[in-house]
Amino acid sequence: MFDLTGRTILVTGGSRGIGRAIALELGAAGARVGVHYRERRESAEEVVARLHDRGVEAKAFAADVTEPDQVVRLLEAVGAWSGRLEGLVTSAGIYRGPTVDEVDAEEWQKVIRTDLEGSFWTVRSALPWLRKGDRPAVVTLSSILGAHAAIGGAAYQMAKAAIEQMTRALSLELAPGTRVNSVAPGFVRTDINRAGHEDPVFSAKVARATPLGRWGEPEDIAPAVRFLLSREADWVTGLVLGIDGGLPLR
Amino acid sequence: MTPDAPFAGRGVLVTGGSRGIGRAVVLAFARAGADVAFSFRQDRRSADAVARAVEELGRRAVVRQSDSADLEAAAGWVDEAARELGRLDCVVTSAGGTGSIGWEVPRAEEWTGLFRTHVVGPYATVRAAAPHLRRTKGSAVLVASIAGLLAYPEEIAYATVKAGTISLARSLAFALAPEVRVNAIAPGWVRTDLTRALYDDPRARGAIERAIPRGRWGEPEDIASGVLFLASDGARFITGETVAVDGGELLAWRIGLER
Ligand SMILES: NC(=O)c1ccc[n+]([C@@H]2O[C@H](COP(=O)([O-])OP(=O)(O)OC[C@H]3O[C@@H](n4cnc5c(N)ncnc54)[C@H](OP(=O)(O)O)[C@@H]3O)[C@@H](O)[C@H]2O)c1
Ligand SMILES: NC(=O)c1ccc[n+]([C@@H]2O[C@H](COP(=O)([O-])OP(=O)(O)OC[C@H]3O[C@@H](n4cnc5c(N)ncnc54)[C@H](OP(=O)(O)O)[C@@H]3O)[C@@H](O)[C@H]2O)c1
Repeated sequence: MFDLTGRTILVTGGSRGIGRAIALELGAAGARVGVHYRERRESAEEVVARLHDRGVEAKAFAADVTEPDQVVRLLEAVGAWSGRLEGLVTSAGIYRGPTVDEVDAEEWQKVIRTDLEGSFWTVRSALPWLRKGDRPAVVTLSSILGAHAAIGGAAYQMAKAAIEQMTRALSLELAPGTRVNSVAPGFVRTDINRAGHEDPVFSAKVARATPLGRWGEPEDIAPAVRFLLSREADWVTGLVLGIDGGLPLR
Repeated sequence: MTPDAPFAGRGVLVTGGSRGIGRAVVLAFARAGADVAFSFRQDRRSADAVARAVEELGRRAVVRQSDSADLEAAAGWVDEAARELGRLDCVVTSAGGTGSIGWEVPRAEEWTGLFRTHVVGPYATVRAAAPHLRRTKGSAVLVASIAGLLAYPEEIAYATVKAGTISLARSLAFALAPEVRVNAIAPGWVRTDLTRALYDDPRARGAIERAIPRGRWGEPEDIASGVLFLASDGARFITGETVAVDGGELLAWRIGLER
């Protein structure tokens, strides 16, 4: 079920957190995996080593996604390695939570450049390789904050809302050849929100507010991405799939 | 548990499993290793054929005639089916059709009949299954429709009631958390007996095909894959969701898909 044998997939932000869990899951499903990172080379190489241990072909690639030139070179390097792509997952991202009064231009731009523009240019640069792939598919990372509001971090929320609309726009534009879907995680314990889940008061609040009664783990997100990249999801496109323990239900 | 049989040793119950989407769901679960109980309304021959196919896959099949539009009937067979299967890990409600009524719905019974089939029946089935699902930390998947999310005056009562199925999944997800997950799946145009008249009419078939970004009608197996994902351990943090499996039709861009 949801076997990915013979499929080559690039995961941006594959060195840590959700992207790391996705890279490991896709490898376990039989895919050949490109593991992208920005600067934590050791983390990326650790993911690659774990994949190699399981007999999975994998390679680490560095690039800062805020720099379109670097993204172009990243995809050149990945293409030279694999010759094609069946899948792309854009998980590279950052979070900043200042209020509208606190935020300065530099911080605002950093979030928009990384989360929104980084995702867009990665998809755009991957297109030539995806078009060479067999039944290719893209999965973007939105967030529960792409459609539900919180206090602080408006730039992040705007970027995620934009990623959802990018997903829909591109799923239409790239149809019928390439499918484009998104996953929208709720609170997932990673480095991105370490301050939050290490604060016992806030951590308990999240668990209490979540109908399934707990924080998400990166391993809760990865199987959905695997499904969306599989041949069995051939008729799924333009979907934003919430993976949030039911948090927004009320 | 082997990778090829992720549902080995599990029990699944499907309403409306004799034909169409329900049938594909039954067979997909059986292929994935599950024993399956399913209901039908009247077509015993089709039901028996599905049961044989399940048994040929080496799995157990439990078949019951049970009208989803009847609250007692919808709930009444669940306990016994769960006992025969030994356990219940997933319930899928797929019973029913559009009623082929149109936009003029003169009789209140036509509204209530569809409401009973697509809302009351699924509710009664899941409620009866809840104690069993709690034990296995299982899940339910309600088959809704994108008709419940878009305008569909061609079957106005059906579309309205399917919006109710989606709402039902949300409230049940909240009510049964944290042990049991409940999600809805919203198919687009799928090739089954329900849509055969349109599919067999070349003009209608083509018009629908052109409205689907993916460029083809759905097959029952496309929907079954989504159901199996939502029922799988991999979906353990997903509840209260509505998952469209529609070839992108929900994007509803009617100005033309050509560039
Ligand atoms: N965790 C959550 O609760 C949650 C919820 C909803 C959505 N998300 C989304 O999920 C995605 C992954 O988040 P996470 O929680 O896994 O975060 P994380 O653990 O902090 O990992 C972030 C990843 O992104 C990479 N990255 C950051 N900035 C980059 C840049 N400028 N260029 C290239 N790569 C960059 C990092 O590379 P290095 O290792 O080299 O630094 C790392 O691999 C993000 O899009 C996030 O918005 C997370
Ligand atoms: N096909 C589509 O394009 C489409 C799109 C969106 C949603 N759906 C939904 O998907 C579900 C299945 O549709 P389908 O296309 O597979 O239809 P189908 O091919 O006509 O099959 C309907 C199945 O439901 C059973 N059934 C009908 N009414 C019932 C009742 N009152 N009680 C118990 N069982 C009943 C039938 O049993 P018998 O064999 O005994 O008649 C049959 O097994 C429905 O909920 C439908 O609304 C379908």
